[in-house]
Amino acid sequence: MGIELGTYVLIGSIFLLLLTGLPLAFTTGMVALVFTYGWFGPNALPLVTSRVYGFITEYSLVAVPMFVFMASLLDRSGIARDLFNGMRVLAGRVPGGVAVQTLVVAFFLAAMSGIIGGEIVLLGLLALPQMLRLGYDKHLSIGVVCAGGSLGTMMPPSIVLIIYGLIASVSIADLFTAAITPAVVLMLCYMAYVLSRCFWNPEMGPPVPAEEASMPWREKLRAMRHIILPAVIAFMVLGSIYGGVASVTEAAAMGVFGVLVGIMIRREFTLTLMQQAVTQTINTCGMIIWIGVGAATLVGVYNLMGGNRFVSGTILGLDMAPVLILMVMMLILLILGLFLDWIGIAMLCLPIFVPIVEQLGYDPIWFGILFAVNMQVSFLSPPFGPAAFYLKGVAPPNISLGDIYRSVVPFMAIQIAVLALLLFEPQFAMWLVN
Amino acid sequence: MSDPLRPSVSNENLPSTPEPDPHKAAEGVIRTGLDRVIARAADGIAWLVFIAMAISVFEVVMRYAFHAPTSWVHETTVILIAALFALGGPVALARDKHIRVRVIYDAVPPRARRWLDVFNNGVILAFCVGMTYAAWQLFYRATHNPSGAISLEGSGTSWNPPFPAVAKGFILLAVGLMAVQAALHLIQSLRARPDADAAEDR
Amino acid sequence: ADYEWTFQTSETAGEPQFKIKQAWADNINEMSGGRIEIEILPTGAVVPHNQTLDAVGSGILQGHLTDPSYFSGLDPAFSMLGNLVGAWGDPLEFLEYMQYGGGEELYNELVNPYNVQLIGAAATGLEALVSKKPIRTVEDLQGLKLRAPEGMVYDIFSKAGATPVNLPGSEVYTGLEKGVIDAADYTVFATNQDQGLHSFARYPSYPGFHSLPMVAVSMNKEIWDGLPDDLKAIMSTATDALAYDLVFKLKARDLVAVAEARADPDIEIIDLPAPERKKFRAIAQQEWANWAKRNEMTQKVYDSVVVFLKDRNLL
Ligand code: NA
Ligand code: NA
Repeated sequence: MGIELGTYVLIGSIFLLLLTGLPLAFTTGMVALVFTYGWFGPNALPLVTSRVYGFITEYSLVAVPMFVFMASLLDRSGIARDLFNGMRVLAGRVPGGVAVQTLVVAFFLAAMSGIIGGEIVLLGLLALPQMLRLGYDKHLSIGVVCAGGSLGTMMPPSIVLIIYGLIASVSIADLFTAAITPAVVLMLCYMAYVLSRCFWNPEMGPPVPAEEASMPWREKLRAMRHIILPAVIAFMVLGSIYGGVASVTEAAAMGVFGVLVGIMIRREFTLTLMQQAVTQTINTCGMIIWIGVGAATLVGVYNLMGGNRFVSGTILGLDMAPVLILMVMMLILLILGLFLDWIGIAMLCLPIFVPIVEQLGYDPIWFGILFAVNMQVSFLSPPFGPAAFYLKGVAPPNISLGDIYRSVVPFMAIQIAVLALLLFEPQFAMWLVN
Repeated sequence: MSDPLRPSVSNENLPSTPEPDPHKAAEGVIRTGLDRVIARAADGIAWLVFIAMAISVFEVVMRYAFHAPTSWVHETTVILIAALFALGGPVALARDKHIRVRVIYDAVPPRARRWLDVFNNGVILAFCVGMTYAAWQLFYRATHNPSGAISLEGSGTSWNPPFPAVAKGFILLAVGLMAVQAALHLIQSLRARPDADAAEDR
Repeated sequence: ADYEWTFQTSETAGEPQFKIKQAWADNINEMSGGRIEIEILPTGAVVPHNQTLDAVGSGILQGHLTDPSYFSGLDPAFSMLGNLVGAWGDPLEFLEYMQYGGGEELYNELVNPYNVQLIGAAATGLEALVSKKPIRTVEDLQGLKLRAPEGMVYDIFSKAGATPVNLPGSEVYTGLEKGVIDAADYTVFATNQDQGLHSFARYPSYPGFHSLPMVAVSMNKEIWDGLPDDLKAIMSTATDALAYDLVFKLKARDLVAVAEARADPDIEIIDLPAPERKKFRAIAQQEWANWAKRNEMTQKVYDSVVVFLKDRNLL
């Protein structure tokens, strides 16, 4: 079997196995194992476990359980609930107001962290049940959580941009600067979408009832006071990063610590609460990390099979205008984004794409931003949409993966629109850099 | 607590059908005795994340306030989280929480679903057995030097703890456990009757 | 081709070292009349960077071009040979030791049991320390929060009075920018400059004085042993050429970046004076001696390096 046929068989078998209901982690892992055995023989099998080793000992992933832990604590204490009650008062009579505030919270989280996953879990535990409780449209709420929670990898400090900078050997500072505008625009577009949907159809995001809105100021203040503690925690985390106190990963641990202190101040601290929170952390992490493990093994064997040479040859074989080649690359990234997580895509494609982009005379910083926006789409796109998996792990059980995938479609459309804008108008990202 | 806001909020806007408790759902479905033991053990293992958090905060305080960073926190955090990640695999399997695409699985009649169960549990078993072999190779080489004498692979830092060997041990433990779990699940699904299947539909 | 191999390197595809290594593979292909075809993959493409020795020995990869200090956890001798901190003032001194001072023989004694054969040693050139605080004397290292990876760097800087922080490479950029650390053992000057580190770590040291990682070009020993002599000679010769390519191409690149940094009034490049370098080397030597006690092989390397340095009046 040649690499071309191998590629199709590989993708085809993933699809078939997925359809049988085989868990995703075992689907990608099994395909990787079979291809390793079939292509290279039994002696090569440790390649697969070596990838597992590399994946689970990756330092930047330490932030994932920290954020999940923080989310569980906020959720199981009364902090999350009070926060959203307080925000609801702030939102006033604006339809969809709480969803917009969720996006603001998501944006703060994005500025605190650079990974996907933790933020989604956090929002999934905090914001989603609250929005549902307030009668918000299910699909709108899910979409807000998934899209908003993915922003962490666009906003600095973003691990996607750091890895891109390392692979492409370009300035991470410039990448961070260039990413800000598109990230803000993405968030504003999400907000505009939510507000317009709720404006035409207020049922989707019911405003606060009139009697509650006219509640005396004293009570409003009482409700809003609950915003203070989470805000202090957020500033602790952000402050510890931007003040040079903690590294990005350590800051996540600082956040957990802050939440614990908050829980003690509220006198909600019990051993049961702690036990529930840590148990939920291991359950959620086991599920999401093994999906990453499966994908990581697949990338290793595909690289060894010569997959990167195949992809590179295919692109270089194209005889077309540079901008079309860029579009083909974007298309390849989008398609791979259906099946792989971003680390896998970065390892697979960037070593091939970046030199081509430079050869075509484009700015690799700008391409990095294109890559990051493209990865925003990949977090949402089925069948391998990490945002959906992270959310599924903590969402109420009556929310299916199908629900989640239906919900993210409009947000993917927004992301692709921003991607297109960026493709044809590089200054949209670069004006801050130059 | 006597927060006046709370009752009005929670009563008024409850969805028409009560939401099942997401916390209960997170516990998943336990299928065998081994699964139950693993799920119970997970309650203890789960505290690793707490330890990792506590020592990370310790490092930040020591470094920032006392200018005395530790030499051990970063590596220890990584190995604690690696153990959590590795063992999270069997835990998620014990609770049947690994994410799957259920479009077809949910649509087919119970009889076909039973065969899908047999097939899936068989594939998981094959995967875990293959992984156990591969993990053993990796673990052996991390715990023995080329001459065959015991020698643990260290991290190579100044402290040089044998964490790489330990992490590979956790991988072996995790995939080995999952292989046994999958074997039990396979036996269970082979024994299951189609009519019984419909009743325990999840 | 008669032989189709995959070699993994220790850098990402965008780094200049990667392209130089690809040129090495092309060179071998040409010299062998197409009989050998080597695909060069970036770090982490097949296995993690610190697992390639195992992968080459077991035949998953056929070879690697990497910094041996990544395997210090298997044997401290890898650190002693791979990156003897403070020992070398110039990559050519190191290459001389490896090729004519017994270094390559010792390295093969170390890796042959892992079923790995060293084809030849190369080096990247001295790495440049990036720092937010000026380091003009060894004294200035006092209390400096310095990121140190695996290997001897940690102990030596600790001995010199610095406060080493064990932070992974992916955290260096934000750590330095925000001030979690004051300085970092990272990579060569030009790459540091490219990544924008000097825009906030304004006191880089150049030429470097602390770290000169070896690039060990090695392959699976069974495959090597089975090669006909002409191909073996081609591989060795191409690797010698690679050593020169790496040293001088990277130097040229560094010089361009240095000129660029000099033109920037915010950046001050510090060249640690010779007496201070000597002081640092003396501190380092005490720590080499400590490491040497860890096992027989490490001691052997230590003895051999010390003799070499003393003969050349470098110690
Ligand atoms: Na971010
Ligand atoms: Na996707």
